[in-house]
Amino acid sequence: MRTRKKMLQATLAIAIGGILLWPEPGRTMEAADAPETVEINSLARLYSGVDFNHAMHTEIASCVQCHHHTTGGEVTDPNCIRCHAKSGEADTVSCKECHSSDRFSKDDLSKRDNPALYHIDKPGLKGAYHLNCVTCHQKTGGPTGCQDCHTMTEAGEKMFQTGQHAPSETTGGEHSGH
Amino acid sequence: MRFFSHQRPELPIVDHVKPDGSQWTLKEKLWLGLSGSDYFKQFFRNPVNWLMIGIFAVGIPLLFQRYIYGLSAVTHASNDYPWGLFLGFGLFGMVPLSASGFMLGTTVELFGRKDFHPIERLALLNGLLGYFFAVIFLEIDLGMWWRLYYPMIVSLGPAAVLFLVAWHVATYLSVQVAEVLPALFEWIGWLKGKRIIRSMTLGLTIAGIILSTLHQGALGALFTYAPAKVHPLWLSANFQWIHFFCSSIFAGLSMVIVSSTLIRNFAGWRCDDEFKNSLDDITIKLGKGCSLAMITYLVIKVVAIAHDQEWAYLLTGWGSYYLLELGVGVVLPMFMFAIGVRNNRASLVRFAAVIAVLGIVWNRLNTSLVCFNWQLYQEIPHWKEVWITITIYSLYFLTYRFIVYRLPIVYSWKGEK
Amino acid sequence: MKTTVSRRTFIKGGLAGTVVATVLPEKKSQAATFEGYPDGMGVLVDLTRCVGCRSCEAACNEEQKLPQPDKPFDDFSVFDEIHHGQKRRTDETRYTVVNRYDVPGLDHPLFRKIQCNHCQEPACLTSCFVNAYTKTPEGAVIYNPNVCVGCRTCMIACPFNIPTFKYSSAFNPRIMKCIFCYDTRLKEGRPPACVEACPQEALTFGKRNKLLEIGRQRIRETPDKYEDHIYGEHEVGGTAWMYLSSVPFDQVGFDTHVPKEPILNYVKDFLGIVPMVLTVWPALFAGFHLLATRKDWLKNKNEDTHEEE
Ligand code: SF4
Ligand code: SF4
Ligand code: SF4
Repeated sequence: MRTRKKMLQATLAIAIGGILLWPEPGRTMEAADAPETVEINSLARLYSGVDFNHAMHTEIASCVQCHHHTTGGEVTDPNCIRCHAKSGEADTVSCKECHSSDRFSKDDLSKRDNPALYHIDKPGLKGAYHLNCVTCHQKTGGPTGCQDCHTMTEAGEKMFQTGQHAPSETTGGEHSGH
Repeated sequence: MRFFSHQRPELPIVDHVKPDGSQWTLKEKLWLGLSGSDYFKQFFRNPVNWLMIGIFAVGIPLLFQRYIYGLSAVTHASNDYPWGLFLGFGLFGMVPLSASGFMLGTTVELFGRKDFHPIERLALLNGLLGYFFAVIFLEIDLGMWWRLYYPMIVSLGPAAVLFLVAWHVATYLSVQVAEVLPALFEWIGWLKGKRIIRSMTLGLTIAGIILSTLHQGALGALFTYAPAKVHPLWLSANFQWIHFFCSSIFAGLSMVIVSSTLIRNFAGWRCDDEFKNSLDDITIKLGKGCSLAMITYLVIKVVAIAHDQEWAYLLTGWGSYYLLELGVGVVLPMFMFAIGVRNNRASLVRFAAVIAVLGIVWNRLNTSLVCFNWQLYQEIPHWKEVWITITIYSLYFLTYRFIVYRLPIVYSWKGEK
Repeated sequence: MKTTVSRRTFIKGGLAGTVVATVLPEKKSQAATFEGYPDGMGVLVDLTRCVGCRSCEAACNEEQKLPQPDKPFDDFSVFDEIHHGQKRRTDETRYTVVNRYDVPGLDHPLFRKIQCNHCQEPACLTSCFVNAYTKTPEGAVIYNPNVCVGCRTCMIACPFNIPTFKYSSAFNPRIMKCIFCYDTRLKEGRPPACVEACPQEALTFGKRNKLLEIGRQRIRETPDKYEDHIYGEHEVGGTAWMYLSSVPFDQVGFDTHVPKEPILNYVKDFLGIVPMVLTVWPALFAGFHLLATRKDWLKNKNEDTHEEE
């Protein structure tokens, strides 16, 4: 338990700033301004990080599809338009700036208790990544298997009881009772 | 037992003293006054005993298996059907069949109907043993059987229906022990004990009615915890407890008719003339009670369907099954009872009683097993579960027979009482 | 002789009845009308997000120290397992399972995670006669194996078929069921292991009231995506774990016939008559007795007086 917690903290710490993007304020960002690849590994524990080919994705998707309004592009989602039609480019476009990596912590939950807050349902960082990527991959036929994007780590194999931790033929099968 | 009558006129034992003036010892009483070898001779001559031996030969190892390897060794260990035969038959079936005790206790002691007196003790014994074996069945089914007393003293959950069942069955069991004790006291010759109990009869009887009304009903109410699981035709949130209570009335009466018939036919030597001569008459009167209880039951069954607007279900397959159960298990015996009573034909009443007994067991099995989780699948009990159930029932039969052969249940004690 | 005896004992009978009557209803009166804790936590499960990765199952197994499964948690052939025509369910080796549903007219399957729903007025709790269950203020419905007798009434009562029994154990059986990770996490305000493991945030942990707000917001803002219903808002009187779905709930394995009120309401009819029977019956039947035996009694009395004369 202890070590798990520590490991999680460590990986989190190492990975702060996993997505490095330098926005230039005052104008709409161009895809060309963005980095070639981004290493997404801030939460890597059960799976290794993802080497995200940003350049490739800019060719098949527009910025707003992933970055919402933060890159200053035209916002089309009727829910977002209500506030963000003219909010322009944000100071930062990094996912983790808005999507907390400690989703569901006491802190995170109490922040959302604010009755004036609209974004009570903003996903945490891990959720944001997966919801964004997987949903689009499902629609566009991109890879959707877990290990298509990141390989399972030793810790992952342990938790999933697979690979070298897979149940052997003789053990397991304790249930079903008949 | 042809054995008795010819060579040994002093048998069966009905008195403390032998014809020669000496006392029967307790041991002799236990051996029915026979020598060991005679006893075993008559025992092994009886094919029923061989059947019992066969059942136990398999059943006892199965019981060991259950207690050493857990319930999953002898049942399907179903999470969808948490209650199998042990409770479905053993508890939900045995308890209504044992309502006889309080029914006849009330009739004789409270309503002063002395004409039922010859069968009162049999009814009380039938009640006592039924409940006792329901508890045995429970002890087989409970996961932590060694904690049977927990709801009594360790951790009380008084808002639960089962709490009421537990308390009432426990209290009622003691009441029934007290009610049957006088027979034992007469037999062993401890008259003081008998007098003490006698003085409590009325209190015990009234306690019996209260406890019986409530726990017979409570067994039905248990199923109202599963309004979305039991088929709507077998469940009525408002009337379930009345259904169970009302059907227990004819179930209990029918069971006494069945057991008195068996005793008269197969243990005639043990019955005294009062019992034998009044039995037809009593049987017909009990049959009348049954038919009245059954018509009441049918009416509230219909009321429940009307109340819950369930007519449409009657047209489905389950509806046919439901009608079959009611038709064969209740309407048929009801008419047989009525005709038997009207034409004074005890044999027809007896036949009706057998059907009614099976009908009520069928109803309880339907409620707890067949029509439970009817939308899922049909659970067929494991053969070991069936066998253990039969084993325990055989044990019930043997105990029943053992006591009837000895204590003054169907005969009156000739000695001091 | 009998009747004179019973005359005397009539008082005793009445007394015994009254004692029973005063002792027992006391115990019934708690028949709880408990509404759940206002600040209780819950989880909103969004079927449109779940991808069937089984991370939650794996995390639960680890967190709750459950036995090794038959197949690894990244083996998706389990979705095709059918027992008695049913998809996988909770059992003594797993507190939670994810099942796949191929909904006609939908180009992709949907997945549903099941576990204890931590009802506001849990049927398991109200049916338990040794109080083995507790609804904690944090919202979890937890179980105490030290008082449980193994009668399995909770399994009968649970409208979602969640509690399971460790049938395989002869000496240490117990109920096995999701406890919202109460001991290890919820108590300290941390999300349950399955929630934390879910990559898709298909499981949203928070105060139940807040979750309802979130659920309504999702439905309101993307009405095309969702059925206009939060399963568990009202089902069986409300549950702490609730569901959103893109298709009618009965198409993804939900029992849509569960009542909208707590299961206990169905039992109240019976519990209501208990005090009545306890108090009225003794007097009623003692009365019957007096009426029925009046003649005998008078006769006896006359005989007595004759003898005296
Ligand atoms: S889902 Fe079932 S086990 Fe869980 S709290 Fe509700 S009734 Fe109890
Ligand atoms: S809340 Fe905890 S116990 Fe329940 S399913 Fe999730 S991980 Fe398992
Ligand atoms: S972890 Fe999340 S996405 Fe994966 S199966 Fe469980 S609920 Fe679905």
